[in-house]
Amino acid sequence: MGATFVVVLREGFEAALLLGIVYAYLAQIGHPESRRYVTLGGALAVAASIVMGVAVSLLSGPLADVGPDVIALVVIFGAVALLTWHGWWMGWHARELRGALQRRVDAAHASHQLWMVGLIAFTGVFREGAETVLFLWGLMTQIEDLTGWAALAGAAGGLLGAVGLGWLVFQGGRRLSVLRFFGVTSFLIMFLAAGLFSAGVGRLQGLGFLPGGDPLWDTSWLLDDHGNAGGFLAGLIGYRARPSVLEVVAYVVYLAGAGMLFFPSVFRPGTRRNGDVTEPAQTSRV
Amino acid sequence: MRRLVTMSLLLAACSTLALLRMADAQSKPVEIPITVENQKFTPAEVKVKAGQPFALVVTNKDAKAAEVESKELRFEKVVPPGKTVSIRVRALKPGTYVFVDDFNKSNQGKIVAE
Repeated sequence: MGATFVVVLREGFEAALLLGIVYAYLAQIGHPESRRYVTLGGALAVAASIVMGVAVSLLSGPLADVGPDVIALVVIFGAVALLTWHGWWMGWHARELRGALQRRVDAAHASHQLWMVGLIAFTGVFREGAETVLFLWGLMTQIEDLTGWAALAGAAGGLLGAVGLGWLVFQGGRRLSVLRFFGVTSFLIMFLAAGLFSAGVGRLQGLGFLPGGDPLWDTSWLLDDHGNAGGFLAGLIGYRARPSVLEVVAYVVYLAGAGMLFFPSVFRPGTRRNGDVTEPAQTSRV
Repeated sequence: MRRLVTMSLLLAACSTLALLRMADAQSKPVEIPITVENQKFTPAEVKVKAGQPFALVVTNKDAKAAEVESKELRFEKVVPPGKTVSIRVRALKPGTYVFVDDFNKSNQGKIVAE
């Protein structure tokens, strides 16, 4: 029971975190009605996960062997692109959002395609979705006795736990000031996306499409990425106990690039957008 | 923004094609069969040649899905019940590499490259 709880909680954790952030984000910019994009994105992702779970169970041969890898890579790099774009938008527009609610709504509406936030929700849920569907499906076919039910109850608890975490992120995020929320989430998204980017590069290495792959260092004695704590950290910030050279380079390069994009005022003080030159110089960082 | 979306979609399509072609171009790797039965990998330890890519061909004989995963070797693949899935693994340096069933962590296997 405990084991299935942890598996589902871990698979659902990242999705819940992202959903909590984007829901809170929409509340922050005064666009609660755009939640439908996020809900739709999440729902479509659940549907797509079920379709993929069924497809993987039915199909076999080269399509079933290569297909999931290609889809995983597209989802990983797609998520990186979306998160980067989102962090960049927050970095450049944080300043505008300090104004009155109506001004925020207008600013957000003018320059941010909110349906794209729905895509973030989609990638977040779909990334581990098919695995979770297959895992739960396996549990349901095993219900013959009490342990079967206990395992399923554990899984349901894990799912509830993930939803609860997402809810906490949403409630917490909503209560922060706009600027602090943007700062905190930009920071989180930066590490999350760096981890994803590096994981994508690692997957390409694992498949033999990129050279190398031997570990640069080994910290598995300190924190094993197959363990629970290491596993959570792997999902959150891309922790690897034995990263390859390319993975480390990808991580660092992404962090540096995203840092400049997400926190423009830190790197280029005095940068102004949208002509608000009359405001005294002030950093838009938290 | 629309142009950006179109461009990223195009990029994704191109890279997918490129990947598939590269997958085709590479000669068929040596296949190492493994089964999952009664929640155990059999054999629990496989030997491979160092310096040569190979494929773990995992057959799941249990009624539950297994997720064969190695963070070290960067693979993570679900094997549905009753199915066989092939997992490509890059050329390895001599050494021992661990993989686990992520849905049932007590089930572990080893790859020994020599």
